[in-house]
Amino acid sequence: MEEESGEELGLDRSTPKDFHFYHMDLYDSEDRLHLFPEENTRMRKVVQAEMANESRGAGDGKAQRDLQEEVDELVHLYGLEDDHELGDEFVDENIPRTGVSEYPPYMMKRRDPAREQRDWRLSGEAAEAEDLGFGGWGSAGQCQDLREAYRYTHGRASEEYECYVIPEEEDEEEAADVFCVTCKTPIRAFQKVFDEHKEHEVIPLNEALESAKDEIHKNMYKLEKQIIEMENFANHLEEVFITVEENFGKQEQNFESHYNEILETLAQKYEEKIQALGEKKKEKLEALYGQLVSCGENLDTCKELMETIEEMCHEEKVDFIKDAVAMADRLGKFLKTKTDVEISAQPEFEDQTLDFSDVEQLMGSINTIPAPSAPVINPQVPNSATGSSIRVCWSLYSDDTVESYQLSYQPVQDSSPGKDQAEFTVTVKETYCSVTNLVPNTQYEFWVTAHNRAGPSPSSERAVYMTAPSPPIIKTEEIRSCEEAVLICWESGNLNPVDSYTVELTQAESPEASGVTESVVGIPTCESVVQLQPGRSYIIYVRALNMGGPSVRSEPATVHTIGSYFRLNKDTCHPWLTISEDGLTVVRSERRTPARELSPSDTHFTRCVAVMGNLIPVRGHHYWEVEVDEHLDYTVGVAFADVPKQEDLGANCLSWCMRHTFASSRHKYEFLHNRTTPDIRITVPPKKIGILLDYEHSKLSFFNVDLSQHLYTFSCQLHEFVHPCFSLEKPGCLKVHNGISMPKHVTFY
Amino acid sequence: HEIYPLNKCLSGQESVELNCKMKFAVYLPPKAETGKCPALYWLSGLTCTEQNFISKSGYHQSASEHGLVVIAPDTSPRGCNIKGEDESWDFGTGAGFYVDATEDPWKTNYRMYSYVTEELPQLINANFPVDPQRMSIFGHSMGGHGALICALKNPGKYKSVSAFAPICNPVLCPWGKKAFSGYLGTDQSKWKAYDATHLVKSYPGSQLDILIDQGKDDQFLLDGQLLPDNFIAACTEKKIPVVFRLQEGYDHSYYFIATFITDHIRHHAKYLNA
Repeated sequence: MEEESGEELGLDRSTPKDFHFYHMDLYDSEDRLHLFPEENTRMRKVVQAEMANESRGAGDGKAQRDLQEEVDELVHLYGLEDDHELGDEFVDENIPRTGVSEYPPYMMKRRDPAREQRDWRLSGEAAEAEDLGFGGWGSAGQCQDLREAYRYTHGRASEEYECYVIPEEEDEEEAADVFCVTCKTPIRAFQKVFDEHKEHEVIPLNEALESAKDEIHKNMYKLEKQIIEMENFANHLEEVFITVEENFGKQEQNFESHYNEILETLAQKYEEKIQALGEKKKEKLEALYGQLVSCGENLDTCKELMETIEEMCHEEKVDFIKDAVAMADRLGKFLKTKTDVEISAQPEFEDQTLDFSDVEQLMGSINTIPAPSAPVINPQVPNSATGSSIRVCWSLYSDDTVESYQLSYQPVQDSSPGKDQAEFTVTVKETYCSVTNLVPNTQYEFWVTAHNRAGPSPSSERAVYMTAPSPPIIKTEEIRSCEEAVLICWESGNLNPVDSYTVELTQAESPEASGVTESVVGIPTCESVVQLQPGRSYIIYVRALNMGGPSVRSEPATVHTIGSYFRLNKDTCHPWLTISEDGLTVVRSERRTPARELSPSDTHFTRCVAVMGNLIPVRGHHYWEVEVDEHLDYTVGVAFADVPKQEDLGANCLSWCMRHTFASSRHKYEFLHNRTTPDIRITVPPKKIGILLDYEHSKLSFFNVDLSQHLYTFSCQLHEFVHPCFSLEKPGCLKVHNGISMPKHVTFY
Repeated sequence: HEIYPLNKCLSGQESVELNCKMKFAVYLPPKAETGKCPALYWLSGLTCTEQNFISKSGYHQSASEHGLVVIAPDTSPRGCNIKGEDESWDFGTGAGFYVDATEDPWKTNYRMYSYVTEELPQLINANFPVDPQRMSIFGHSMGGHGALICALKNPGKYKSVSAFAPICNPVLCPWGKKAFSGYLGTDQSKWKAYDATHLVKSYPGSQLDILIDQGKDDQFLLDGQLLPDNFIAACTEKKIPVVFRLQEGYDHSYYFIATFITDHIRHHAKYLNA
C-alpha cells in the first residue's frame, strides 16, 4: 500500500530512463489470491501489527478496516479507479528488488497529512522531470506499460516472496496451537495425531511465533540497511546530476567562446578580402576608364582632323594647298604620337591566397585544453611554520588540467625601495609546498601560477606567510622563586617583535611518567610570574610565538620550589662591595678608600655599604639565612625597593633590620626600624641568622639558626613588596643561603 | 575561637614533701580530651597563690592553641602553723623561694624545690593526660628564679625555660639574702646551689634556650632585687643562649605578664611540640 506508493514516489524523484518503473502493485488480482489463503489474511495482519514502527491495532477487524481506509485514500489521491493498482495487501518485507526502491521506514507508519503533502509535491516533481525530457514517469498509462515490461523482464515472482505467516487466534474451539514445520502451517494439536501431519515435525505455536518474528526482524534490519544505502545512492546520483550540468555548462561555454572567436576571425577575413577585391576592381576600372577617355580624345581629334580635311577638299586650290601643307604637318605629328592600344588593366583578377593560418590555429586550438585559471593561494594555517620553513598551500577552483605549479616568493619589504629583493621560484606538482632555508620571524610574500601544455595561468593573489620565531633565551641568573611561584625573564631571541611568549613547565622528577606540560600562553613581555607547587623541581622552557607558529623550545632552566631563591642585585650594590658569581656572597674588602662623597643615586647605595637582593614579588612567606662572622659588623633585614640609598639601613621607615656591632669584645644587637630599636641582649652570638618574612601576618623574624633560637620579630606594614638587604659596616663578607625550606622551629612564628 | 575548657583547681592534696594540704591549679586544653599533652609549669612570685596566674595572666588562648597543659602550684606551704611564717610578705607564707629548707623550723614543711620538681609532676602524670617526657617551666619574679634554678639544676628534665622579671642572683639581692639565710642558714655555699647566676657558671648540660622579659620600669629592678645583668654576663661567658628583652614602659605587675605571655608560651611550645 503505502510501501508501494512509496516506491512509485521514490522512483519519481530520481530514476533515469534505464530503470524499469514498476507500479506499486506487483501482482494482478489473480496473483493476489495466491497470497490470500483465508487464514493468511489474518496472519498477515498480525505480522503487520508486530513490525517495528507499526502502531496499528492488533485486532484483525480493526486492521482490516485501517487497511481499507488507507487504500481508499490512495485511490482518491491518485485518481486511480482500479483498486488493484493500490491493492490492500502489503508486499513482503524481504524485497531486495532491483533498481531504486525507496522504502523509508516511515512508510510503515500511519499516514498523516504531512506525508500526503509530500506525495503531492513528489508528483509535482515527477511532472517536472517529464518536462526535462527524462522519460515518462508518473502517468498511469505509462504505469501500465512499464508494469508489463517489468513483469516480462522479471517474471512472476510471487512464490519467492512468501512470508512465514503466523496464525492468529480466532476463537477458542478452532485455535491452532501447534505449528507443522514440514507443511509450514499451523494446525490444531489433534491434527498431529492423524491426517497428513502424522509423520511431520511439529513445534509449539509459540516457538514458531518466536522464530517467525526473529526471521522477520532480521530481514527488517536488512531492509533498513537497504533503505539507507539506496537513499545515499539517490543523493549521490543527485550530486552527479548537478555536476554533469555544471561540467556541461563549462564545456559549452568553452566551445562557444572558441567558436565565436573563429567565426569572428573568418568574418574579418571575409571583410578584408571583399574590400581588397573591391579596391582592385576600382583600380582596374579607373585604369580602363582612363584609357577610354584618352581613346575618346584621340577619336575626337581624329574626327576633327577628318572633318577639317573634308572641308579643305572643298576649298579653292590656293587655300587648299595652304591648308593641306599645314594639315600634312598636323597629321604627320598626330600620327606620330603613339596610340596606346594596349589594355591597361586585365579583366582577370589574380588569385589571392588568403592567409588562413590563424583560423587554422584557432580551429586547432578548439580541441586543445586551455591554460588553467589562476589558483587561489590559501592563507597561512596557524602554527604550520617553523623557524626556517613554511608550508604553503593553494587550491584550484576549477577542473582545469594542470601539469605543475610554480610557487614564487620573496621576503616582504618594509618600505625601502631601490634594493631589489631576491625572488625565488619552486616548481611542484602538488598543491602545497614546504619552502625551506628561510629566516626566522620574517614575512614572505607567496604567489603561485598553474601550468599546463597551453601555458601558464594568471598569477594568484599574493599571500603573506610568516616563519616562526627563533627561540628565546632564558636569563637563568635572574630567576627568582619561592615555594609557590617563580619569576622568569628572558631575551626575545628575535630582532623583530614577536606576538607573544609561552612558558612551558614540566616537573623534573618524573618527566616521562607524568608527561604533563603546563603552559602559560599569551605572555606579552619578556618576563612572567608562574604559580607552582611547593617542594617540587620544575624544568622550564619558553617559546616565542608569531603568526607562523611557535618557535622551538628555549634551553631549559630548572627551578626548585623549596624555600625562596634570590640573588643579590648588582645594580643596588655600593661601589665598595663585590658580589660573587653566584650572586650569593658579598664582600667588602680591606681597601683604602678615598674619603670623597659618592654622588647620590637612586639605584645603588652610596652611604650605607649595602646591597639588596631580588626577592620574587609574591606574597606569602619567605625564609633565607645569612652566614656571618661573630666579629663582623653587619646589618641584615629587608627594605622597600625605593629605600633611600644615601641613608643607613634601619634609619628610616622603609627598612627593618638587625644590626650587630662588635666592639670592646662585646656584642651589641639592635633591631632597627626608623632609627629605633628595642633593648635586647643576646648571650650567644649567632653565626647563621635565619630571616623569615611573612607578608600574611606582616612580620619579620630573626633567628639563630644553629640554636633554633628566636631572636626578635618586627611587626611591619608591608604595603608593597620588600627585598632582602645586607650591609657591611666593616670589611668582611656575608654569605646568603636560600632555597631552604623553613626549619620547624621557625614555623611557630 | 574555642571556648577554653574549665580550669581545674584542686585543693586538699596531701603533700608528702610539704606535710600539708597543697592546692594547685591545672588548665587542660581541648586537645587533652583526645590525647596526652605536654606540661608547662608556672611558678608564681612573692605573695601569690595558685589562683593569680590562672585568673590574671590571659594565657588560655595561647595554651589552647598549642595544646599545652598548664600547672600552677602555690608559692609555699600554708597553714603549717610555723612561728613567723606570716610576719613578712617576702619570707615564709607566700615566699617559699622554691628551695628545700635545711633550717628549723622550716625544714619540715618548706621543701618547695622537691615538691615542684618531684612530687607535683608525679601527681600530675598520674592523674592527668600529660606526657611525662615533655615538660617545661616558667615563672615570674620569685617564680622566675624558681624556674631558672629548677631547669639549671636538672639538665634535660625541662625542654625549655623562661621567666618574667626573675630574681636572677638571689645571693646578692636583699630578698635572696633574707630568704636564704632563713631557710638555708649562713653557709653561703648552700645558697649558691639555689642561685641561677651561680648555677649557670657550672651548668654542664644540654642546650637551654632561655627567654627573659623584664619591664624597664620595674621598681624592683631599680631596687637591685632582680640583677639580670649578672645572669646575662654569666650566660654570655658560658655561652648559654639567652634572649633578654628589656620592655620599655612595663613594671612588675601581671599586666606586664599578660602582655608577653603569648611569646613565652610559644617559646615553650616550640620545644614541647617539636
